[in-house]
Amino acid sequence: MTRAIIEVDGLTKTFRVAERSEGVGASMRALVRRRYKDVPAVAGISFRIEAGEIVGFLGPNGAGKTTTLKALSGLLHPSGGTARVLGHVPWKRENAYLRQMTLLMGNRSQLVWDIPAADSFRVLQEIYGIPEAAYQRTLGELTELLDLAPLLHKPVRGLSLGERMKVEFAAGLLHLPRVAFLDEPTIGLDVSMQGRIRQFVAELNQRHGVTILLTSHYMADVVALCKRVLVIHRGKLLYDGGLSALAARLAPYKLIGVTLRDGETDGELSRYGEIDKRGEGRVTLRVPRDQAAVTTARVVHDLGDRLADLSLGDPPIEDVIDKVFTTESVA
Amino acid sequence: MIGIYRALLLASFQSASQYRVTMFLYLLFSIIRPVIFLAAWTAVAAARGGTVGGFSAADFAMYYAIVTLVAHLVTSWNAYEFEFEVQHGRLSPKLLRPMHPLHQWIAENLVWKAFTLPVMLPVIVAIAVTFNARFTAEPWQVMLFVPSLLLGAAIQFLWNWIVATAAFWTTRVNAVTTLSDRLGFMFAGLVAPLALLPEPLHTIAYALPFASMIGIPAEILRGGLTPSDVLARLALQGVWLVLCFAGYQAVWRLGLRQYSAVGA
Repeated sequence: MTRAIIEVDGLTKTFRVAERSEGVGASMRALVRRRYKDVPAVAGISFRIEAGEIVGFLGPNGAGKTTTLKALSGLLHPSGGTARVLGHVPWKRENAYLRQMTLLMGNRSQLVWDIPAADSFRVLQEIYGIPEAAYQRTLGELTELLDLAPLLHKPVRGLSLGERMKVEFAAGLLHLPRVAFLDEPTIGLDVSMQGRIRQFVAELNQRHGVTILLTSHYMADVVALCKRVLVIHRGKLLYDGGLSALAARLAPYKLIGVTLRDGETDGELSRYGEIDKRGEGRVTLRVPRDQAAVTTARVVHDLGDRLADLSLGDPPIEDVIDKVFTTESVA
Repeated sequence: MIGIYRALLLASFQSASQYRVTMFLYLLFSIIRPVIFLAAWTAVAAARGGTVGGFSAADFAMYYAIVTLVAHLVTSWNAYEFEFEVQHGRLSPKLLRPMHPLHQWIAENLVWKAFTLPVMLPVIVAIAVTFNARFTAEPWQVMLFVPSLLLGAAIQFLWNWIVATAAFWTTRVNAVTTLSDRLGFMFAGLVAPLALLPEPLHTIAYALPFASMIGIPAEILRGGLTPSDVLARLALQGVWLVLCFAGYQAVWRLGLRQYSAVGA
């Protein structure tokens, strides 16, 4: 059996936070005696990721995604459990490990604010010990993929948010890491820029075989990039598997969209399935997955010429994921 | 490592060159304070018939010119920004690199000093000339001043970091740094030359690290110490360097375990 690039076993992180009631009295008491509460951010999660995978890490705010990424990149000491990435224990922060990985956070800075990115890149070249030829090759590639040419020689503080994020992205990848942790890489970017970053992440994985674990609030990122997802909620892993299987398992139904030329009369469509929603002349029906094809055929047969439009599809993945978070279990 | 430092120094240089106003204000402040003490001690010496504890007005002038130079060369301020870096998640990117963040702070510190020294030096010379300073150090004392100054700078740098790493545990580091600053102000030789401190302050001063930062290098360059006095002081500085280095490593390691990487 090949050894996984990322191995996480029972990882736990509990934060200790000071707790205090409202009011002056409580403030005075807190001066003398503090009360603390243990908040479990990650409550014993285990998973393995093989070389070259792109895995999506999904969960609502505060689920423990970022805490896990921080532990795996060596920023946090966990409260329990073990993890190995590329054979290293991340929080020992050995240079040999740090040289091979990156953690990209949408809003964090590798760059010196007051000088052009090109100069910061040179510093990173020295810190990571990147040979000149490799540096030029990677920089050329990043410049082309992210369209950096006009940005490299302006002081970083003069760049717009989107421009700065592109440059930060490049800074975090100059050393061509073998493992990349991406935390909300497209947050705050416009739609076209999000698309560019997505395409870029895919290329990084295909061209250089970089193993990627990514979190995102934009389901489009996950759908476009990840075959496999980890779903985490309240510090616990709820699901680990294929994205399509998750949809099938969670949503054992399909949606049939029907638009009639003369409009629906007396809720006649409800005999084909449960009404999911109605609006603008269109009715969406929810039907069991295994009967979707037959029901569609019946609709066509019964309604014939009255049909202006007909569609058959899966429910939006957002809804599926949302269902996981509200029910807290993947049956 | 040489390549890393070359790149870090260059980047810090480019960064520092953008803050000319800050630099000017800093220089103004670091010169005003010793000049006030110098003027006060000169007045006291005049009132006492010419000397205080063996220091004439010319000796005070020399002492404060030297202290201004030493204080400038050993100063380190990065630690004050550390609290901000921890609280706003600016430390995290530095921890992700295969390099101890200390190297970057050392580079910034060196660049700042190199950048400001050309402006500082003529001003110090002007103060010395205006107050008729008398320079009495012998060549061997000037030579031993150099290692003493380097030790002082290293001790000050590490001490400030030990204090600053309190940011890992508390969100109000200012209180801790202010306490350290006040003690330093009293016991580093800024208010008065260490030789003039009455007992038990004199003993306390040498028992704390602050004398090793500024007072001892200044005493050596001022001249008047015997070779054995100088060696004893260098040895004391050596002890403080070892203690501060060990202390720094310990609190840094403990602090990182505690670090919660907030906002990052």
